[in-house]
Amino acid sequence: MKALKKNVFREIQKTKSRFISILAIIALSTGFFTGVKASSPSMIETGRKYFEDNNLMDIRLVSSVGFDDEDIQKIKEQKNTVDVMPGYTADLIMTKNNIDTVVKVYSLPEKTQTNDKLINEPTLVEGRLPKNEGECVIESYFYNVSDYKIGDTIKFNEKLQNSNTQDIIKNLAYKIVGVVSSPVHITYQRGNTTVGDGSVSFFIMIPSDEFVSERYTNVYLTTSASEEKLTPFGDEYKNRIESQIKDYEELSEERIKNFNDTTLSDAQKKLSDAKKEYSEKKEEAEKKINDGAKKLHDSEQELNDKLLDAEKKLSDGEQELEDGKKELEKAQEEYSVGIEDSKEKLKEAEEQYNSGQEEYRKAKLKYDTEIEKAQSELDSAQTEYYTQYSLFYGTTKPQAEAKLSLVETGTSLCKEGIQKAEERIKELEKNITLEDEAKKEWDELKKKIQEYKDKLKEYETMAKEGRKQLKDGEKQLGDAKDKLDKAKSDFQDGKINGAEQLNNAQIQLDNAQSQLEIGRLEYNTAMTTGMLQLQSAQTKITSSEKELENGRKELYEQKEKGMLALKEAREKLTTGKAEAKKQLSEAEEKLKNAENTISKLNEAKWYVYGRDDNPGYSGLEEDAQRVDNIATVFPVFFLIVAALVCLTTMTRMVEERRTEIGTLKALGYSNRAIAAKYFIYAASAAVLGSIIGAAIGLATLPYIILDTYSMMYTLPATILVIPWESFLFSAGTGLLCTCLVSVIACLKELKIRPATLMRPKSPKPGKRILLEYIPFLWKHMNFTSKVTARNLFRYKARFFMTVIGVAGCTALIIGGLGLKDSIGVIADRQYKEITIYDQIYALSESGTSKEKSYIMSQFHNDERISESLLVSQNWTTVKYGKNNKISLRIIIGENKKQLEKMFILRDRNTHEKIRLDENGVVINERLSQVIGAKLGDNIDFTINDAPYHCKISGITENYAGNCMYMTPAMYQKLTNKETEYNTVYTQIAEDAKENEKDIANDWMGNDDIITVSLLNEQLESITSTLDSLNVIVFVLIICAGLLAIVVLYNLTNINIAERVREIATIKVLGFYNGETANYIYRENTVLTLVGAAVGLPIGTLFTSFIVQAIQMDMVMFPQQVNFISYIIGFALTLAFSLFVNFIMYFKMNKISMVESLKSIE
Amino acid sequence: MMKNFVEFDNVYKRYKMGEVMITAADGVTFSINEGEFAVVVGLSGAGKTTVLNILGGIDNCDEGRIMVGGRDISHLSGKDLASYRRYDIGFVFQFYNLIPNLTAKENVELATQICKDSMDADTALDSVGLSQRKNNFPSQLSGGEQQRVSIARALAKKPKLLLCDEPTGALDYNTGKTILKLLQTKCKEDGMTVVLITHNSAITPMANRVISMRSGKVISNVVNPSPMPIEDIEW
Repeated sequence: MKALKKNVFREIQKTKSRFISILAIIALSTGFFTGVKASSPSMIETGRKYFEDNNLMDIRLVSSVGFDDEDIQKIKEQKNTVDVMPGYTADLIMTKNNIDTVVKVYSLPEKTQTNDKLINEPTLVEGRLPKNEGECVIESYFYNVSDYKIGDTIKFNEKLQNSNTQDIIKNLAYKIVGVVSSPVHITYQRGNTTVGDGSVSFFIMIPSDEFVSERYTNVYLTTSASEEKLTPFGDEYKNRIESQIKDYEELSEERIKNFNDTTLSDAQKKLSDAKKEYSEKKEEAEKKINDGAKKLHDSEQELNDKLLDAEKKLSDGEQELEDGKKELEKAQEEYSVGIEDSKEKLKEAEEQYNSGQEEYRKAKLKYDTEIEKAQSELDSAQTEYYTQYSLFYGTTKPQAEAKLSLVETGTSLCKEGIQKAEERIKELEKNITLEDEAKKEWDELKKKIQEYKDKLKEYETMAKEGRKQLKDGEKQLGDAKDKLDKAKSDFQDGKINGAEQLNNAQIQLDNAQSQLEIGRLEYNTAMTTGMLQLQSAQTKITSSEKELENGRKELYEQKEKGMLALKEAREKLTTGKAEAKKQLSEAEEKLKNAENTISKLNEAKWYVYGRDDNPGYSGLEEDAQRVDNIATVFPVFFLIVAALVCLTTMTRMVEERRTEIGTLKALGYSNRAIAAKYFIYAASAAVLGSIIGAAIGLATLPYIILDTYSMMYTLPATILVIPWESFLFSAGTGLLCTCLVSVIACLKELKIRPATLMRPKSPKPGKRILLEYIPFLWKHMNFTSKVTARNLFRYKARFFMTVIGVAGCTALIIGGLGLKDSIGVIADRQYKEITIYDQIYALSESGTSKEKSYIMSQFHNDERISESLLVSQNWTTVKYGKNNKISLRIIIGENKKQLEKMFILRDRNTHEKIRLDENGVVINERLSQVIGAKLGDNIDFTINDAPYHCKISGITENYAGNCMYMTPAMYQKLTNKETEYNTVYTQIAEDAKENEKDIANDWMGNDDIITVSLLNEQLESITSTLDSLNVIVFVLIICAGLLAIVVLYNLTNINIAERVREIATIKVLGFYNGETANYIYRENTVLTLVGAAVGLPIGTLFTSFIVQAIQMDMVMFPQQVNFISYIIGFALTLAFSLFVNFIMYFKMNKISMVESLKSIE
Repeated sequence: MMKNFVEFDNVYKRYKMGEVMITAADGVTFSINEGEFAVVVGLSGAGKTTVLNILGGIDNCDEGRIMVGGRDISHLSGKDLASYRRYDIGFVFQFYNLIPNLTAKENVELATQICKDSMDADTALDSVGLSQRKNNFPSQLSGGEQQRVSIARALAKKPKLLLCDEPTGALDYNTGKTILKLLQTKCKEDGMTVVLITHNSAITPMANRVISMRSGKVISNVVNPSPMPIEDIEW
């Protein structure tokens, strides 16, 4: 057996890197799991120890009427009550740099008779506790972030909402002498208040004798539950306190009854006194006011009379002026009419004259032409006549007379011839007997007679012709003569006629001229008269104007005088009124006080709170839970990967030692003995790894994580709690994985007969892979790619392990970055998309819409403010689950339109707008998740302690804070009261954005405004709170890197070890170092790429898981992974892989080629 | 034919095994001519593998000079040695050393892809008579076939020197004979210089030159003027 043991240690020595890689992965998973798991209990323990050391109260009682010593005594007598300490608190307002802040003032805890351990003992961090009057200690959390120093003074405002500061505490200014932390406030949260903007900024502590009131406001007590050191977040503690609270509530009823019997009557007496005083004062004041009013009335009357008179004069003057103006108008009209008329006439005359002239000219022209024409006609007629005359007498007449004479001669000759011829004939006839000669002569004679007869006829014609000719000529001459005569008479006629016409025209022209002359005259006259009239009217106007001026002057004087008188009277009245008011208000205040007291007394109530009511107390538990959630999911990855790594490594190892196993078996060792070696090997790696990992994990992670929260908590140094269960679980898992795997692998080998075992195991045969059956792809791959592809598919287990490991690494990085992205996006989404107001003004007094209309009009008039909305904003709590509460704001906007501009109500996924109506309320998504209410469910809540319930009509996207929106109408419907507004939300105009603080300061001067909060400041505080989560991101990335490195190292190691022979062979073949490395790395690279790619979607899921796990009640994370985060996750994974390759390069170079010559084992 | 193609001149190689210093090569001096079939014979531990390793550029010598083809390789850097192996040496292993995940052809290609002037993988496989089985994986081949692939892989690089480390050591008698026959043929027909180491002195008659070693020293270097064909040798 000794030899076998030695064998184990030798084996470890020989295979250091393998041993270390198993050890490392187990150390990593155990360390991470244990470390993160330790954070949550450490956090709780740190808190518990702190509460115990500083004796944090278990129960706090608050009374609306305060406690007296008898009350305290009774409380003490309750069972299970260990120690009781009365004290005071007050929420006061201080103004610094024009910003109002609410300060919670506590009385310093004081020793009680029963126990000398202070309840809620403050830890003095710096300075000292108050010794003298007017000194205080300030809380450390605020002290560290503010610029207050020891020695500075905190100065409270004199006025508080409904009372004076000095009614509550003795001094207004307190000097800071020390810095403390209180177990009551373990976070940065300071809770809500009813004064100022409703949130407390910090607290101070002063000695209790600085408080004015005799009655204590608070009673703190410890119970047996904490005396027995029960875990404060445990169920037993919670149950005990719960029942204890019920006891005190019963006691409270009894004490209140007692109070009513004793104190109430006293107060009622006070009230009646005050009432009496008030009515007296009121009467007096009323009288004074009436006097003043009468005087004022008189002087007003006087003034009115005077004014009336002056006004009358004024109106007279005005009337006259009016008349004058009218006259002037009339005159002007007449003037213009006259002028116009005569102008017309003149124009007409001128026209006529002009036309007359024209006509005359035309007539003259016509006359002249006609005369000329007649003259020429006359001339031509005369010429013709003379021509005819000379022709007749010169030619025609003598011709005709010559002819005639010729005819006469011829005729007579003819007649003589005929006679002679006839005479011969008769002669002959007497000689009839004469013979032929005679006959012949007879014939001739006869012929001659005929000739003569013809000739005679001719002459007769000729004579006729001549006669006719003569006659024609005579006639022609007569015609010419006629014509001449006619022309002569025509000419004469024309001449006479024209002259006459011309004459007529001349007459007409003359007429027109005279008419024109008349028109001109008329025009001039009209002008003159008009002018005259105008002048007279003007004069009248001037005079009346003067009169009017006088009247006005008089009126002004009267008014002035009257005003003066009136002012005097008014002043008197105001003084009187003020006096009266003062008296009255004094009385009223007294009355109010008395009434208040009474009403308070009537409503007297004790409130009993457990520690949960301390702001941030339950947050510690939630934060611890959140860390625990992360702690549970993360290591799952690690454990899975660790198991895979161990599995591959141990299987490989057993396979390597085949021959040895066979030899040992042949030598006769039992199976158990043989397997023991591997079992011990694996177990020692696992145990050692677990211890080393846990040690490192516990020493670092809880501190890193709690350090993150230390920014939010004021807890003392972390107390480490070792989570044994988690350690044992993770170490056990590691151990189980490694040992089981090695034993199983070993047993598998042992089943084979030793002879076979001693022969070398044939290497895993090569196989064709699926890819080769896709020739298209296979053919296009180069030789080395083919080899890589075959190798990848050859070792499937390794393939999956690497992919899972690398994917886990990528997922972790993306998870970390995604967490950062999700957080980072909150501020932008919330304050740039959802709630887009810039400032919140708290009003000093709440009031209805009508009462606040004045201040709202002031906001509207401020040009630097683009939108303003009157809001009723109240804090309330909603109970859910068994005993949980969540606080939220109820927001009622006066104006729906403006509300929708400043609060974007929409569905987160669809961005669909959500309408506010009278059927229900809208709550934010986170609230609905926390209380587990869905759309359409009813939600129970309180307004001014009165319970209401209402349907949820919408669930809106919102990231920071919880709120409930309703309309004023809905509020009225619920409560039967009108909404009382107390806040104004504003948006700053774009061009005034940089003056935001100035605007706030300006408004702080307004009496109606009590505080202003700027959204930008809220934004900063949220961002810084969330920044603390960066540490988690960092831790994640570191762990992811370690995981990737261990996994890849281990696998590459195995890969190389398995392929030493192959590597040596290719080296012998002449591969250079780089080529050899590539031959192996190509597989790593592909595996890393595949793993990283697979890691991307897992990372997304992972992010959403982490985000869910760390979600707070008040904050919702949007779950977002930026594109760049994917790239970083991918790139970092590749970088880790490259780093591993780099390391392995040297290892590979060291492989001796002589290995190739060795026989297969 | 180059005389003294391979020349060992007083070569020393020492290993440290724990506290003992072992001199694996103790002043080894010999030479081999080009185209010779040289057999280095000796018992286990005689230093023959050391000689082969140094000659193959797998190992360095501590002292002495080794000339191959007129080039001194005794003081080459790691990278130059790799180039020497790549371009000048063909190595045939006792256990074939085929990459199990590659087919016969791919195993040959593994060698040819890194050489500038290499034989085609198919031709190389044809020349060793394995054209039918080139797409088989080593596990599907018999030992003799695997060794033939190994020889094809070595020859495909067209080396100056073929080094064989007990090539028949893992083979049965007949298969061993065929492998030796193949090597002898390659030497005779292609003029390849072959250096073969073996512990089996029975096969020495087939060599041109027989170098016997013992305890890291060369005890004889005999030239055989008429080598016998392998078929005629029995052992």
